[in-house]
Amino acid sequence: MIRTKIMMVTACALGLTACGDFEGGLGSGYPQDKSFDRGIDKKHLSQLQAGIWVDPNGCDHWIIDDGVEGYLSARLDKYGKPVCSGVAPPNQTVGDFKGGSNIPDPN
Amino acid sequence: MIVANTFSKLVRGVASFALVAALALQTSAADAQTKSQEGRDKGVYIPTIWVDPDGCEHWVMDDGAEGYMTPHTSRQGIPVCRRGNVCGMMQSDQFFATDSHRINSAGRARLAQFFQDTGAVSYIITGHTDSRASDAYNMRLSFNRATAVAKIAASTGARIADVRGYGERLPVATNGSAGGMAKNRRVEIICIR
Repeated sequence: MIRTKIMMVTACALGLTACGDFEGGLGSGYPQDKSFDRGIDKKHLSQLQAGIWVDPNGCDHWIIDDGVEGYLSARLDKYGKPVCSGVAPPNQTVGDFKGGSNIPDPN
Repeated sequence: MIVANTFSKLVRGVASFALVAALALQTSAADAQTKSQEGRDKGVYIPTIWVDPDGCEHWVMDDGAEGYMTPHTSRQGIPVCRRGNVCGMMQSDQFFATDSHRINSAGRARLAQFFQDTGAVSYIITGHTDSRASDAYNMRLSFNRATAVAKIAASTGARIADVRGYGERLPVATNGSAGGMAKNRRVEIICIR
């Protein structure tokens, strides 16, 4: 994560990107509305593309790799219990959870 | 009239002063925290909603370099969903005799066909009763009925993620009428895709 951030900052300094992530200059930060990705792959966050990550107990989570941002949130059934679907073994991901962004990962 | 005007101006003046003072207090309260509240956002993170493929809502935020997400639930811990993934609602009266969890052969065939046709990744099966008899008895009966359905599912090769009995605790209709009680006697099948 730190590595990607350094990469971003370097890219901004070299003028390679629009630097939307650091709008207003480093340090002053984002406004209070956090509902948009203002970076290179700009979008409203409702557009995120998820896959499944199975935790070590075998239960499902929504996983999203959106370039510089990563998201993880529990998959719950209508009663509020974890969904442990058995779609894959523990620690395995399923689905194109990196498909919503063109920013490559270091790995 | 002039007096009244002056008075109302005075009142407005006092009110706006109070408002400014209140805002100033709020700001200083935020300033008094940590470095994390010193940015342009003053530590205020307003999220938006992301809807997962099941139709349930999550709070999501992007603060520039980090992304955050957590399920949107009620204060009771129940997810807020725009649609459900209940794909089968069995009215118990069609499958079970009163107080029984045995499914007759016609019912078994119907259920087996349902699971073969649906072909989901896995299923969560929950039993429910009306409010007659004791809570403990209904917890047991609803679990036994859900288990009977799960066994048929498993016999077709379907994967069962969970089997539960909620007894009379989660009614979908009033228990004050015969029609309502019949609706409450049910086995719900959730399809995980």
